[in-house]
Amino acid sequence: MVTIVIDGRKVKAKENSTILENTQELNIDIPTLCFHNDLSSFGACRLCMVEVNTNGKWQLATSCNTPVEDGMEIRTDSDRVQESRKLTAELLYYKYPTTEAVREVARKLGVQTPEEKGEGHDCILCGLCVRTCREIVGVSALTFQDRGRGRDIDEPKIEFDPNSCIGCGSCAYVCPTGYVQMESVGDKRIIWNKVFNMVACKVCGRFFAPEDQLKYISKETNVPFDKLTTCTNCR
Amino acid sequence: MDNVIFSSWNGKIVDNRKGKTSKAPKRADITLPKLPEEEKPLALMGWNGLVVMNPEADIVSLTLRYLKEIRKLSCGECSVCMIGIDRLLDIIGEMAKGEGSKADIAEMKAIIKQVCVNSKCGFGQSALFPVLDSIKFYKSDFLALIKGEKKLEDKDYSCTVTAPCMEACPARLDIPGYIELIKNNKFKESLDLIRENCILPGVVGRVCTHPCEDACVRKDIDEPVSIRLLKRAAADDDLQHGGSSLNGPQKEREERIAIIGAGPAGLAAAYNLRLMRYGVTIFESLPHVGGMAAVGIPEYRLPRDILNHEIDLIKRIGSELKVNTKVEKLSLKDLKKKGYNAVFVAVGAHIGTKIGAEGEDKGYEGFVDGVEFLRNLNLGEKVKPQKKVIVIGGGNTALDCARSCVRIGFNDVEIIYRRSRVEMPASDEEIEEAEKEGVKFNYLMTPVKILAKDGKVTGVECIKMKLGKPDESGRRRPVPIKGSEFTIDTDLIIPAIGQRSELPVIPDKEKIEITKWGTIKVDPITYMTDVEGVFAGGDCVTGPAIVIDALNTGNKVAKSIDCYLQGGSLARGITFEGVDLKKQMGRGFTVKAPAQGVGFLDVKERAGSFEEVEGGYISMEAMSEAQRCLRCYRVVVWEKAI
Repeated sequence: MVTIVIDGRKVKAKENSTILENTQELNIDIPTLCFHNDLSSFGACRLCMVEVNTNGKWQLATSCNTPVEDGMEIRTDSDRVQESRKLTAELLYYKYPTTEAVREVARKLGVQTPEEKGEGHDCILCGLCVRTCREIVGVSALTFQDRGRGRDIDEPKIEFDPNSCIGCGSCAYVCPTGYVQMESVGDKRIIWNKVFNMVACKVCGRFFAPEDQLKYISKETNVPFDKLTTCTNCR
Repeated sequence: MDNVIFSSWNGKIVDNRKGKTSKAPKRADITLPKLPEEEKPLALMGWNGLVVMNPEADIVSLTLRYLKEIRKLSCGECSVCMIGIDRLLDIIGEMAKGEGSKADIAEMKAIIKQVCVNSKCGFGQSALFPVLDSIKFYKSDFLALIKGEKKLEDKDYSCTVTAPCMEACPARLDIPGYIELIKNNKFKESLDLIRENCILPGVVGRVCTHPCEDACVRKDIDEPVSIRLLKRAAADDDLQHGGSSLNGPQKEREERIAIIGAGPAGLAAAYNLRLMRYGVTIFESLPHVGGMAAVGIPEYRLPRDILNHEIDLIKRIGSELKVNTKVEKLSLKDLKKKGYNAVFVAVGAHIGTKIGAEGEDKGYEGFVDGVEFLRNLNLGEKVKPQKKVIVIGGGNTALDCARSCVRIGFNDVEIIYRRSRVEMPASDEEIEEAEKEGVKFNYLMTPVKILAKDGKVTGVECIKMKLGKPDESGRRRPVPIKGSEFTIDTDLIIPAIGQRSELPVIPDKEKIEITKWGTIKVDPITYMTDVEGVFAGGDCVTGPAIVIDALNTGNKVAKSIDCYLQGGSLARGITFEGVDLKKQMGRGFTVKAPAQGVGFLDVKERAGSFEEVEGGYISMEAMSEAQRCLRCYRVVVWEKAI
């Protein structure tokens, strides 16, 4: 355990825990768009900024991926922090004005936005789907498109590899803006424009999982495919 | 640079405009990137500031162009940088349409400041800084744009992109680029990008002394990004997936090129010349291809299957290879008669330098030069282990000899070096591993006499040294201490203090000019010798250097030969000599994260085996290490006089 100071309060913190983990425990509200408790931190949305005192100088730092150190001083609500979060929200809102998740966070941070619900479903490049696919599902079907030197891409996006995707739908579940859409009709599921065959439960006959996903689970766990064709309700 | 009208480079303001008083001299005493003079540059905008050389320069239009160029590099992975640039571009666009107002200038400033402190990577933190200078010091031009008194014009611009690591790399690999591809799980694309400038990625990923890592901005924060291991990861991943092949040419040209020496320089030239559809024949005097990479580097550092695989790919795109073929018998005229339109001499430096000790020329048994020792070992000669060996020298060749002796089974392996550990040119990793393996280091002594009995080495007489004043190399010069001579008994002595080339290469009436240092003299830009059509490069021109240096020469020589045969001139671009590329005006908070480590072969298993010592990254480890890259791309855009 280490001791840190958050907004003047001395608190004990687990070694190598992040600032955000500790502020969450203290119920301090810090806005985020790209953070998820079950995934590695990414530091992409820049909304979770706090101020950290390093060598006597207060510096802005992303709380989601900055680990605490013994004696670390943190300010979560200073004018500079608020101003920084608001400016970031303004930029996000400028780029994705119709996307509700962005509007909501911008509104919360004092940006003037229309009251009604946004109808847009933009990809805000938060990377939640990429990390979920890689870290939770373990197949890496989603990656950031590379935008390095000489590659001149106008709008970066998430690339989909149909050969790796197992159709599990985790990306659609985790997507905060509704950009990743999944459609299930009868024995078919469509996600990222790829059509998957669904397997019907041996007991109740409900189409409950894509065939590719069950095959993948079978391969990873060595449980025969037949044993997996009963849905969770009937097991 | 002459005639600087305004400069904010490095945060130092020089303002010689009419009506401005500046204490700074007319000639700016700052080191700027050197622009190609024939382009008559008017002004430049780069990550470190704005520099105006000519009053005709259009700063607003230059700013717009600079923003467009940096927009291409902004990755979009964090929300402030790319969107911030988009907003700035839109604001300037609105100004030009007459829809702007004074308040826009304040908004631009706020956005720039926000992006600089808030961006995730080094690029976002630094790229917008000069824009702040242009709206601050050329505000009237922006106000003129708002009022409609000025128009945005697309002038003639050039743009270059570099990074501290890229400038440090002899072959200027796009390091942030290939690291980003690895980060995004695109190992194949990463390898393709590496191969554009480095055709032996698995080799360089293992043996490079990685000057890039010394230049890494992260070195000043925690540890440099393990750039070399990431390159290796791209190559290893490819091999694990069956190994990709290289794309060869479809059609052939008539011209043929003879390359003398199948080392890294010769191979790189052959590969690039094949891409340009030339016929290529490589003559190699040794039975193996690879030059020093094959006969100079021991297998525990560079497994032969890695090297051979990469050579094989170059062979398969149609390079003809003739091993065991010494070109001595052929004169230059013969080569031209045989239909070769150009010759590239890349024979390397395979002869050891004399140590200046009495008796070294006597041909004693048990006295073997370092490069010869390694060559024989790599060509399969069995070396009988004896009790003790003394290796003389402090460079990587000396370390290679000593560590090879440990593996052969010598009981006692000692290195003697005339300076101290600090001055040792061998890389730290090599020294540390050698120490773990039990190699004993003796500093501040030098051999004066080889002792022998019945023609066989029995020992070496040494003298102790002390360090004097620094010499041309900047290292303190070793000075002998009079009367401090002493003797060390030994069975084998391996001097390894330097290498030179076996010259002249081609006995011909038109002799190729040799410098006083025993290297081939070439034009520094074209690599042509004083004999027309004959080019030279690699160790035989520079003296012993690293693999990536040789690859770079090979790449450049290929381009130069193409220019020579097709008529054309090599473009001279911007150079950054003396410019501190690490420096950036803005620097946000960077979360500390130590480098991902790799496994090493257990020390106990190293004696008696030439198995590879250093392990590589698995793909997940490589992707996680790649996350550490701060992506310090530096962009420079300059306006040229039309």
